[in-house]
Amino acid sequence: MLGRIWAIALNTFREAARIRVLYGILVLVVAANVLALVVGQMSVHEEERVARDIGLAGISLFGSLTAIFLGILLLYTEVQRRTIHAIVSKPIERWEFVVGKYLGMALVLTVLVGLFGLAMTGMLAWQGGGMTVAVGKAIVLSWMEVLVVAAIAIFFSSFSTPFLSGIFALGIWVLGRVTPDIQNATKSASASIGAIANVALRIIPDVHVYAVSGRTLDGKFTSIHGEFVAWSYVGLAGLHGLGWIVGLLAFAAVLFHRRDFA
Amino acid sequence: MARHVAELAIEVIDLQKTYRTPFRRKKVEALRGVSFTVERGQIFGFVGPNGAGKTTTIRTLMGLIRPTGGSAKLLGHAIPSRAARFRVGFLPEAPYFYDYLKIDELLDLAGRLFGVPGAERKRRADALIERVGLDRARGQSLKKFSKGMLQRAGLAQALMNDPELVVLDEPMSGLDPIGRKEVRDLILELRDQGKTVFFSTHILSDVEAITDQVAIIARGQLTAQGATKPRRIGGELTVTLPADADVDAWLARARDLGGRVVVVAPRHETLEDLFMRQIASADDSAAAPEGRT
Repeated sequence: MLGRIWAIALNTFREAARIRVLYGILVLVVAANVLALVVGQMSVHEEERVARDIGLAGISLFGSLTAIFLGILLLYTEVQRRTIHAIVSKPIERWEFVVGKYLGMALVLTVLVGLFGLAMTGMLAWQGGGMTVAVGKAIVLSWMEVLVVAAIAIFFSSFSTPFLSGIFALGIWVLGRVTPDIQNATKSASASIGAIANVALRIIPDVHVYAVSGRTLDGKFTSIHGEFVAWSYVGLAGLHGLGWIVGLLAFAAVLFHRRDFA
Repeated sequence: MARHVAELAIEVIDLQKTYRTPFRRKKVEALRGVSFTVERGQIFGFVGPNGAGKTTTIRTLMGLIRPTGGSAKLLGHAIPSRAARFRVGFLPEAPYFYDYLKIDELLDLAGRLFGVPGAERKRRADALIERVGLDRARGQSLKKFSKGMLQRAGLAQALMNDPELVVLDEPMSGLDPIGRKEVRDLILELRDQGKTVFFSTHILSDVEAITDQVAIIARGQLTAQGATKPRRIGGELTVTLPADADVDAWLARARDLGGRVVVVAPRHETLEDLFMRQIASADDSAAAPEGRT
């Protein structure tokens, strides 16, 4: 079982590594970091602060967009180009195929986030600052967010077209990011609207737990420039993300299992 | 008398597949109660015009499509069966593979999915690459392969598990006469190794040339099934003589040895024979040293 999943994951990694758009995204991340340097120069003694904020936002934004792009593309093209015919006709379960695809994608995204992190570290060093523990934790949280977003994209891709999957995944990611704001907004609404919003928000992966800088957690303001979350929070967020990933992949596998490859 | 299950490589009973078209939800009956059996060790031709249901039947057998009715067994296992797929090799119609892979990478992937151990995987891949004549194309990615080369790569990946049953969907499609002959020879070789070969085609001459059994499908229904030629009886021998042979002397010698001559028939050169001879001659000329005529 592990051998088959690994074979699919390795092949997916090879496939994704040949997508030139990814190299374009890498260039964009480097450009974002250069932009951070320029914007930092325009601020009043806030160069490092601006560099950290823009660098982390770049990792989260470009990482998540890449996860959506890969998630909706790689599974769909297998079916569209019929390469899947020669694969699922071999002794591999369809859930193994879905998990293998996801792991291959996760591997690519991990490498990308690593490169994004390196670019940010370089930019911080240029500023005369350096990597702090808080920034390190924030990058790890962004990486987890990216992996959850990839699972969301795979889930939609298991039954929908790339266009619709992209719209759905993007929508869910944005909603998941602003869940606390929506909850606050519905507090003043009627009880029925509040209840509906509450149920709706429960089925949306709450990716906001990975973007905590600038938010108040348990009555305490959290920031990468000051007091940030503890490693225990990062660990719990990881488990939380793992739960979502397993759940989303399980649903994707069930839906994929029922599909005909005509 | 019903054949014993163990003798059957494929058993299909009243297989049905109904689709609904997108948007209009119109019902399309792709398979309307298809039933047939394939004995082990046979070459079985599955014949029908385009759109008859050949590929739908094969994809259903291979677990790519779920039937809406009926049942089928591969090597005694009800479909979809992972246990059966370990022992079956499959070449899809107009195969598409990951075009960034090289032939040995494709075979390595296939071997991994079949659970073939590392050293054995390499050995089998090398042997198959040579067998299907892709040795010279090792350095190229599949993207640069011609249709015929892709078909041969597809055959190689289907044989990575040394299967008992080989299912080929239109294996001669898109091949030139040389390629078609090579595939036919490979199919015969597989049968001689004791494997069962089930292949679909709409080229009747291919079916006639190599199959033991044939089934004809049209509009999702089987219209006929039977032997394509009389079974070989023990001791029967076919002798092909060269053009200048003394036929009378050969017949007398056969009778002296106690044999009985069933039939003597002149063999005319087929267009394929002529084509193969011309190509071989052209190859010889190309290979000849300069200055030689």
